[in-house]
Order: sequence, then structure tokens, then C-alpha cells
Amino acid sequence: MYSPKPFESDVKPDWCPGCGDFGVIASLKDALATLGLEPHKVVVVSGIGCSSNLPGYIRTYGFHGLHGRPVPVAVGIKSANPRLTVIATAGDGDEYGIGFNHVVHAARRNDDIKLIVMNNEIYGLTTGQLSPTSKLGQKTKTTPNGSMIYPLKPLPTLLGAGATFLSRGFSGDPKHLSKLIQEAIKHRGFALVDVISPCITWHNIFDEVRKHVYRLEDKGYSPDDPSSALKAMWDELGIPIGVFYRTEDRPTFQEMLAEENGGRWPVDGVRPLEPQLAEEIVDQYY
Amino acid sequence: MNDTHDESDLVVRLGAAAGDGIQSGGEMIARTLSRAGLYISTYNGNQSVIRGGLVWFHVHAAPWRVTSLGFGIDFLIPLTQLCYDEHHDSVKKGGFVIYDPASVKANPMPDGAKGIEVPLAELALKHDKRPIMRNTVAAGALASAIGLDFKVLSEVIRDQFGRKETDVVRNNVAAAKDGYDLVAKEYGVVKRLPFDYSTRRPLLHADYALALGAAAAGCRFYAAYPMSPASPIVHWMAAHARKLGITVFLGEDEISVVNATIGASFAGARSMCATSGGGFALMQEAIGEAAMTETPLVVVDVMRAGPSTGLPTKTSQGDLNMVMGIAQDDFPRAVIAPRNPQESFYVAGRAFNLAERFQLPVIILLDFAIADGGFCSLDRLDFRMPIDRGKLLEKGDPSLTNGVWFKRFSFTPDHVSPRALPGTPGMMFVAKTDEHDEYGHDLSDVLSGLSEYVKLRERMHEKRMKKLDVMRKEMALPELYGPDRADLTVVSWGSSANPVREALRPLWRSGLKVNSLEFTDLFPLRSDEVTKILKECNELLDVEVNYTGQFAGFLRKETGVNISKRFLKYNGEPIYPAEVERAARGALAREVPAVV
Repeated sequence: MYSPKPFESDVKPDWCPGCGDFGVIASLKDALATLGLEPHKVVVVSGIGCSSNLPGYIRTYGFHGLHGRPVPVAVGIKSANPRLTVIATAGDGDEYGIGFNHVVHAARRNDDIKLIVMNNEIYGLTTGQLSPTSKLGQKTKTTPNGSMIYPLKPLPTLLGAGATFLSRGFSGDPKHLSKLIQEAIKHRGFALVDVISPCITWHNIFDEVRKHVYRLEDKGYSPDDPSSALKAMWDELGIPIGVFYRTEDRPTFQEMLAEENGGRWPVDGVRPLEPQLAEEIVDQYY
Repeated sequence: MNDTHDESDLVVRLGAAAGDGIQSGGEMIARTLSRAGLYISTYNGNQSVIRGGLVWFHVHAAPWRVTSLGFGIDFLIPLTQLCYDEHHDSVKKGGFVIYDPASVKANPMPDGAKGIEVPLAELALKHDKRPIMRNTVAAGALASAIGLDFKVLSEVIRDQFGRKETDVVRNNVAAAKDGYDLVAKEYGVVKRLPFDYSTRRPLLHADYALALGAAAAGCRFYAAYPMSPASPIVHWMAAHARKLGITVFLGEDEISVVNATIGASFAGARSMCATSGGGFALMQEAIGEAAMTETPLVVVDVMRAGPSTGLPTKTSQGDLNMVMGIAQDDFPRAVIAPRNPQESFYVAGRAFNLAERFQLPVIILLDFAIADGGFCSLDRLDFRMPIDRGKLLEKGDPSLTNGVWFKRFSFTPDHVSPRALPGTPGMMFVAKTDEHDEYGHDLSDVLSGLSEYVKLRERMHEKRMKKLDVMRKEMALPELYGPDRADLTVVSWGSSANPVREALRPLWRSGLKVNSLEFTDLFPLRSDEVTKILKECNELLDVEVNYTGQFAGFLRKETGVNISKRFLKYNGEPIYPAEVERAARGALAREVPAVV
């Protein structure tokens, strides 16, 4: 028994009719409701771009920050209060371009945050320029004769960075995407859901994706080995979706922090120092 | 700079190559003098190298409150020839050079100074295979020359090297004793100071004092990326994380650092980050983000000489224009520049209260002169730091919602809106960097430019900016030190007040009427009152560490008063009191006949 109703907003998305991001937000609401999460214990953090308008279209706490910076904001929130479910939602420009450094390091540290990237292979809100994931030969406003730059492969790159959960979904398959998001939220550590979420205005690839997409689980794929994950991610003919790699054998960054702060989290500690402790500290400076 | 201005103080400078233990030796001397009841102020003549070059540590000590480097050097301790060559001109008449004739030729000996020859390397090698303890032998020699009880030095050595009876401690104490005994036998006590072994004061630099003040004010999240001279803050936080329950985040860059700090603050922590100018430049966009989302933020810029990478271990007050003009368009902020470590402790506490009460970024400006190595004696610290979180809701309040969203950015008489933290049931909202309505929903796309929302944008922009008018009333006026009325008023901000304070002593002794107007709270400025104060002054002299007189420019903009007489220094070295004294005498020369 679940209802996405607690997550319904009274603000309607400003996305173009038919935008892939509608499928993503529907899947996200469905996933949160299915997991029985409460809206006030979830924070959705976003960057800048069409997809990053998402907080506010879903009723949770939201932080609509700067272009490329949702991951560090999410890391700060989670590290201050790990009781919250913290989800960063952004586009390929945010996460694979200007802010990719943060993604690499969040993956490496294994921050217990979830990152949903609405990857449309184009800068949409700025009216169609080449993005880090744009394909070779792709014609955009900045590559009128077709792109000559090799696109970034985020999944294998982040596998190398030590990510502990790597997956890909398709906004045209919201049921499957909801399951992926649920898996990501349940994962202990950093989880990436790279979503092919086509831009119907500047780079409509819905039909092409539908033609080539297949589910990893249908191939009997098991996501527990990095080398087979790399091979599966490298498929340049088909478009595999599903979980490529998952491991929980590494501590999360917040578990590491707890080693140092003793599980005394910043949001619970806003109070003066105890006088005796203060004296002890000052004592070392005489 | 070779007149003995004040007999009751002591200036020591120890120098050698990086890696020779100069900072450690300098701190040993400073701490020993502090435990003999003297007030201390130090300067770290550091270089951005790990080995080699010339680094020096400067200690000023006196039974009265010292704030700066004093006048000239009483004891120069050059462990290398380069140190001697560079610094011997600063030795006072009647001063001394403690040196090892085997490695330093003290030639020519400064006018009126005497040599104290100590075989530093030979004595050090008695206790270790390498001559690394030359600094300790020298500390022993100095203690002997000023008649200081050896027990105090040996206790400091014990504490500095781990409070345990290890070989390191034993060898250092023995090396110090050798230097002590040799000087006692061959030279005796050459300068006497009024020691008081029953009085001791904590000795901290501003980085540590600020970190301590932040912890005392409830800061439990600290983020940083390594950058001199701000790094001692993250070192302090990491060293005390377990004891105090502090979460320390070393981010991948300063952009990550400031955004994580904002995230932690949004979640409800008291969080802080610090950097120097280059890192601060990277943080600017996010500081605007904090202002736009009305998220409290405390950011520290420990200034060093720029531009760009500049001089990483040299001092400057050159970032004022940057912090006053951060990021796009107008947004509210507070800027505070504590003058010394003591003030840094309390400013940290005030910064969190201002940030939370007015929901905006507060920028604290320190600089190298008082931070990394600028130790200063502190008075007793009051840890009963008032914590005021402003309009923070402890639980949900449906009357502040529309049933779906919380009116996080509601219009109120004082322009500050009630704030709820994630995790509070029923109070969901979006903190938005786009222009937004009272709930945090976009005004930036399909509503922008529509007449109703043009008006709303105007009100939102005014709401944020008008918080400044309310906060302004709480900002401190500059402190006037010295006589109420003077022929010359020296204007300074932050750490540049310190050399001014010491310069006043000889000026007053000459019968000159000079006082010091010292600004700590820089923005928002109580402009009307400051204008009145400045206009009532007879003559003004601006003293600061940058090329353009950035603060004088700011004052002119805010008050219309142009301070045309300026002492500006921008070579990376600290302002010496003698330089302020000279500038003050020069500024007075027109009206006052030369006294000296």
C-alpha cells in the first residue's frame, strides 16, 4: 500500500510537453512512496538547468543551488545530519561537466548520497550547446558541423573512481527507473543513477534509445564484478540499463566521519563547550 | 631603527634555513617568556619552502601588553650567515648577537651591540647525531643571558616535546642546559627583566583562537581545502575532532568546501570554512548562493600577499575590496576583521549569531600577521558564549504553511523570516538560488516579467537588502584608543591596529597628542556615526597593508571623508611600529614643530 500523494506539489513543472524529465520525477515520487519515506526526511538538492528545476515539483525539503554544485551541498547536508535521505538531481552539464570533480570525489569517499543525473546529451536550458556526453558527430549550436570530441563515459570513469553503486535508467521506462532509484536509496553509500532523459526540443533521441535499449537483468547479468561491469558499460552498439556494479564492502564517508566525531552529529551539537572541556583545551596553550 | 625606545621590553629574533627548527625554537622562547609572566607577541618570518632559504621567528615580550614587533632587536640569534647578514642592521644599540663563530661571522658587529659566542653546533652534537638542537642550545643561552630560571625553560621543552620523559625531551633539556651554563659562566646576565613566575597567560595565534571560539559557539562542522595561512584552523579542528565531536571535511576544492558548509548549515549545523584569498575567490559564487537562499554562513579569509598566488607566507590586508564586492548583484553580508587572537575568539561567536539571526553570510578577515605564527598573549577567555539562533523554529507550525509548502521567505517587519530545518514535519520548502516567492518557488522562468511578479521580485530583493539596516544597528563602532582629543588620529582596521598601538608609546613620550581609531566591524558600517567621528578628528592618517588604501577608499565611499595621509605597506613584510611612528611624526610635522 503506497501513495505518491504526500510527495505531490502544487507547482507544475515548466518542462516542455513530452520532456524526459517527467518520467524521472514520476519514478522518483513512486520510489520514495514505495520505500515508505516521509517527505520531511528527504532532501532533494539540484543544480542549474531544466532538470534541476525538479525540487519544488516534488514535495520534500529542497535546495536549488548553483550550476554543478549539488553534490557538495548534498555531502554537507548528509554529513551534518545522516538521518536525512539526501538525493542530488541534476543534468549532465551539472554533473559531468562543470561539477564532475565533485562527483569523482564523492564516489571515491563513498558519501552516502544518491545522485540522479538526467542525461540528455545537450545543454537544453541554454538552447542547445554541446554537452560532455554529446555524441561524436552530434550537431548542436556550437558544433554546427557535428562534434569531433569523444563523449565522456561517466559510468566507467566513476567505476575507476571507486563508486560503489553504478546504474543507468531510461525515463521512457519509469517502472524500471523507479526500481533503480529504490535500489540506489537502499544502497549503503554513494549511488549513481544515470538516466537517459531525452530533450525533445534540442536533441530528441527517444526513438533511437527505444530501438537499442535493453535491460541487463534480462541478460542474466550480475552486478558484483568490476571487470564485467566495465565490459557491460562499454557496449557502444546497444544501450544497457540496470545496475552495472554494486558493492557494500566499503564504509560510507559518513561512517568514517562517525569514527572521528563519535557519532555526535553537527546538527545535534549546537551548544557551548562544557567548561571543564574548555579549560582542558586552553591548558595546552600556557 | 637602532634607538632603544623602551627599556622594559625584550625583542628576540631567531633565524636560519627552513628545516632548522626555527618555528619550534621560536615558540619555545615565546612560551618560556610567557611563563615568566610577560606579555608576548610574535611574528613568523616564514617562507613557502620546506627546506632551505631563510626563515625567522620574532618574539616581543614585556611586562606591559605588547601587540606588535617592538622597536629593533635586543637579541639576534642567527644560526646561518644569511640570517646574520639580513637582520643584523635591526639590532639595537646595547643589543646582543648570540651566535656560533664556527658557522656565522658576526662582522661587522652592529653599532653598539655585543656578541655572545656560543658553540651551538658543538653543544648540540653532544646530544644528537645531527645538530638539529642548535635552536634549543640557543634558547638556553638566551634564558641565561636574561637571568631566567632554567626550570621554566625545561618545563616548556617537556611540554613541547610530548610531556613524556623520552630521549627527545632529555636530550633537548640537556642541550638547553649546556647553552645556559656556558653563558652563565662566560657572560652572566646581560639584560634584566621583571619576571613573574606566578602569572601565565594562554598563548595562541588568531587561527587557533578563532577555531576555539567557533567550537565554543557550537560550530561542529568545519570544511577546508589546504591553503596557507588558513591551514592551522583545519589542523586544530582535526586534532580536536574526537574530543569535541567535530565533523571535519577536507573537500576536493574550495567550491566543494563552501557548498558543503552551506549544506551543513541548511541542515541545521553551525558550520564554518576558511581559506585565503585564492580559495576565497573560488568561493564567491557560493557566498551569493548563501545570501540568496538566506542560509547562515561563516567564511574566514586569512589574507596573504597577492595578487594571485602572490607570497603564500607573507602578510597583506589586500582582500578587503574582494569581500566587499563578492559575486553578482547586491546581497547582504557582514564583514568583521578582528584585530588580534583574543578578539578572534569572540568574533567567531558573534559571527555565528549574526549569520543565524540575519540568515546571511558573515565574512571574517584575518591575516598572516596575526594568524599562522602570530602568537599573542590572551586574557582569560569567557566560554559562556551566548548562542542566538534567531527565528529558528523548533517544531512545525501549520499556520506558516499553505498545507503543502512552508512560507520560508515570508515578509516580516524586520525582513528576517522564520526558518525550519529539514526533518521538521510539514515545513517543506525549497531554498532557491533563482529569484523566488515566499515559499521558495521560481520567479525566474514562466513568471518572470509578469507585472505581479516584477513587483514580487522587487519586494524580495528589498527584503534581503533591508536586513542590513536592522543588522547595522548592532555593529560595533570603531574603538578609540588613547586620548579623546588628539592632533592626529591614526585610522586602522583589523591587525594593522597592532603596530599603531606600539607606535603610540614613543609618540606620547614625546608629548604628541595622537590617538588610534581601530575598526573591527567593517560592514555594514554605521556610516552616520562614523562620519561624525571622522569629521571631529583634527588630522587623519590611514594605516593598512595594501597598495591602494582599500579601507580608506571604503570609508570615503561610506562617509565622504577622504583620508589623504596614508601609510601603506605592500612588500609582504609586517608593519613595524617604528614605521607608524615615523609616518605619524611626518603627518604632524605641518602643524606641530618637530619634537625629536
